[in-house]
Amino acid sequence: MVDLYQSKRNLATYILTLFVVTLFALWLRHLDMESSWQKAGMINFSIGFVLLLAYMSAQILKIARLPLISGYIIVGIIVGPYVSGFLTNDMISRFGFINDVALSFIALTAGGALHLQALKKRRKSIVLNILFLTLVVFGFVFVFFVFMGSNFSFTRNLSSVQVIAFAVLIGVVAVARSPSSAIAIISECRASGPFTETVLAVTVAMDVFVIVLFTVALTVARVILGGSGMMGTQVFMAVFVEMAVSFFLGALLGKGISFYVDRIWHDLPLFLLFLAFGVSKLSMWSDNFMINCFDIHLHLEPLLICMSAGFVVQNFSKTGVYFMESLESVSLPVYVLFFSLAGASLNFDALRLCWLLTLCLAVVRVAGIFCATWLAGTVAGDLSLHNRSAWMAYLTQAGVAIGLAQIAEREFPEIGMYLTTVILALIFVNQVIGPVTFKAVLNRVGEAKIR
Amino acid sequence: MKIVFALLIIVFLAFSGYHLTFRSLKLPLFAREFYLTGTEFLFLGLLLGPQFLNLLDTETLKGLEPVGALLLGWIGLLFGFQFEIVKLRRFPLDFFKAAILESFLTFALVFFGVYYTLPLFFEIPEVRHIVLSLTLSAAAACTAQTGLALLSSDFTAQHQKTLGFLRYVSSIDGFSALLIFGMVFFFRKSSMTGISWVGDLALGTAFLLVISAGLVFLYIVFMSSHRDESELALVVIAMAVLTSGVASILHFSPLVANFFIGFCLVNLCRQKERLFKILVGVEKPVYLLLLVFLGAYWKLDSMWLIVLAAVYCLYRFIGKLFAGFMVTRLSPGLSSYPSHLGFGLLAQGGLSLAILFDFQQGISCDISTSLISLALLAVIYNEFLSPYLLVRLLKEDK
Repeated sequence: MVDLYQSKRNLATYILTLFVVTLFALWLRHLDMESSWQKAGMINFSIGFVLLLAYMSAQILKIARLPLISGYIIVGIIVGPYVSGFLTNDMISRFGFINDVALSFIALTAGGALHLQALKKRRKSIVLNILFLTLVVFGFVFVFFVFMGSNFSFTRNLSSVQVIAFAVLIGVVAVARSPSSAIAIISECRASGPFTETVLAVTVAMDVFVIVLFTVALTVARVILGGSGMMGTQVFMAVFVEMAVSFFLGALLGKGISFYVDRIWHDLPLFLLFLAFGVSKLSMWSDNFMINCFDIHLHLEPLLICMSAGFVVQNFSKTGVYFMESLESVSLPVYVLFFSLAGASLNFDALRLCWLLTLCLAVVRVAGIFCATWLAGTVAGDLSLHNRSAWMAYLTQAGVAIGLAQIAEREFPEIGMYLTTVILALIFVNQVIGPVTFKAVLNRVGEAKIR
Repeated sequence: MKIVFALLIIVFLAFSGYHLTFRSLKLPLFAREFYLTGTEFLFLGLLLGPQFLNLLDTETLKGLEPVGALLLGWIGLLFGFQFEIVKLRRFPLDFFKAAILESFLTFALVFFGVYYTLPLFFEIPEVRHIVLSLTLSAAAACTAQTGLALLSSDFTAQHQKTLGFLRYVSSIDGFSALLIFGMVFFFRKSSMTGISWVGDLALGTAFLLVISAGLVFLYIVFMSSHRDESELALVVIAMAVLTSGVASILHFSPLVANFFIGFCLVNLCRQKERLFKILVGVEKPVYLLLLVFLGAYWKLDSMWLIVLAAVYCLYRFIGKLFAGFMVTRLSPGLSSYPSHLGFGLLAQGGLSLAILFDFQQGISCDISTSLISLALLAVIYNEFLSPYLLVRLLKEDK
């Protein structure tokens, strides 16, 4: 009874506060901004406003048992450039660097959440899930688009060759997942257990694997569209070197973090934020450095570096628990900021343009994921409940997919615009639905400590 | 070349982090003060900034403006939390008056000196001249507690009374400096619009009070139901950035606006202890980050700056010495304290750095970078100078 009263009181407080803060923000928006100092102030105000709004909305959604990150994403969509325009595209691009730091920070958490012992036990299930998710999801989406693509008004103008190239690329992008969303929901639910371990490992591994797959897809698409496919080995070599160097640097960084925790331990959250900043910045700097000095394109992937660093700290030192506690202590502001900005970046216009195609692709992708996880679970001998429900954990999609779409747009301008629009719309749908289904499945399999 | 610097930074960072553990590091006194007060982070900022490695380039610094706003908000809130009326009443009223008087006298003397010295070296329009002089003298009026905090236990035990007074003065004397600095922002706006700044001051103060009341109300609403630590931290972060943003939009100082809110919260909010715990929990990292940011804006492009910084330091030294003498002589209740109290009030960090950063963010003009660099140099001079003079003061204290 007391809880119910408290919930109602909280709900009323949040709604009232939301209303007041929004009115205040609208009033500020209508003031004349004469100087750059005021414009910078508006950006700062917007960050604070979005953080508060996202937090309160998530708390309201929490009463309805929806995941917190759905609240953050929905607020991001509402305040973003495609709905209310409170956050402009320019503002979002200015927050890009903070966003990168947040993503590196989340990657540290994702790496730290992987326990080697548990992974060894679940090896068979993880490998099978990766294999089937890749093959089946790609297959479903590819076949669907090849046979149905030209029936949609949005893609009607594509030639048959372009449809095939498009299908290859969108098939691979459909395989991509969102480790950041996964880790945020797992943290929120304090979930642990074999199902959670498997999902997290598969999600993280596929985030790496999809980069290799996409390189293959690019080469195939180039051949289909009449370009040269001969540079394949060079490209693969470069991808391999990038990954190897990123993993190696991550391992070194992990050792460094362990040393810091072991010998110093003061202000660890701040130290980790500084490292996340350093890794993002170093990665950008090394790209330029390699191009300018050696004329080599070697892109160090900050996500891989941070994931492997987190993994090394967790599994090859005694400081894993303290490391994860420190990450946890500052995770809330990082998640709220990151997912609100992610929501603001979701392209509503893209969805408007090709909503029917997007919905069909989303359904086909879900069907592919269901078949893949059911097959993998059955072959691995997992619990029947897990096999029937696992698809719900793999719907979320975010950053990597957007990055892949942008690369494809640069490579193939003739189909790039179509591809980017469809992918952005697909991410929109998956990122709104995915967290809800993920939280629901964690509750269903009984691994969520907080419902 | 950049790789060499990057390696240097790694070593530097490792060592800088390391020093936090080994507080009993056996270094010479000046080096110990320099190192343990975190002044080295200024150099880290300089190294990371556009002058050397350019890792914190202009674009990145622009992208990190919200972090700067957060730092100013955090420091403003923390300073406001020092003014809990119930706790202030535990000390004699003479202490409070002495702290305000000391700060005001220092401010007046430094303002006088800076106002007449600056035109000898820089060509500055009149309105900007006043703004710059006010800022530098407000920064000079503040005192940091770093020197006092690092004194050995022998000294602390022997001179409890004097040290208690010094601690009180140094934690309160930023109050008047901050208010004066707040006025700089009204001046700034009037310099742009041409309207009399006195009218702006009255209207602006009233406006600031109304907006602050609204923001305090918002804080209290958030604090009205139980939240765990991470949620509270999120609310404080969001509110600090939001307040800084509102202040900038309405031509106020983010630092002063957050100070007001901190002051109101500590005297009105029931959960102030929890809020304070969150604020103070990252106090040191916040100051270190502030030093890194300021270091990134540091630009030593002229040898004259070194000389000017010494002159500024001298004005401050004279101001503190004179102010210390006056407060111990004007109030009968304080006559038992040593007359050269100013020797113990020379450390200049914390709030004065925040004032400089706020100035850098809000009122940047063609010579503001030079003046910030000058003031930072003066902070370093003071870090070298203050431990010796503090020890001397205590040795002569009976």
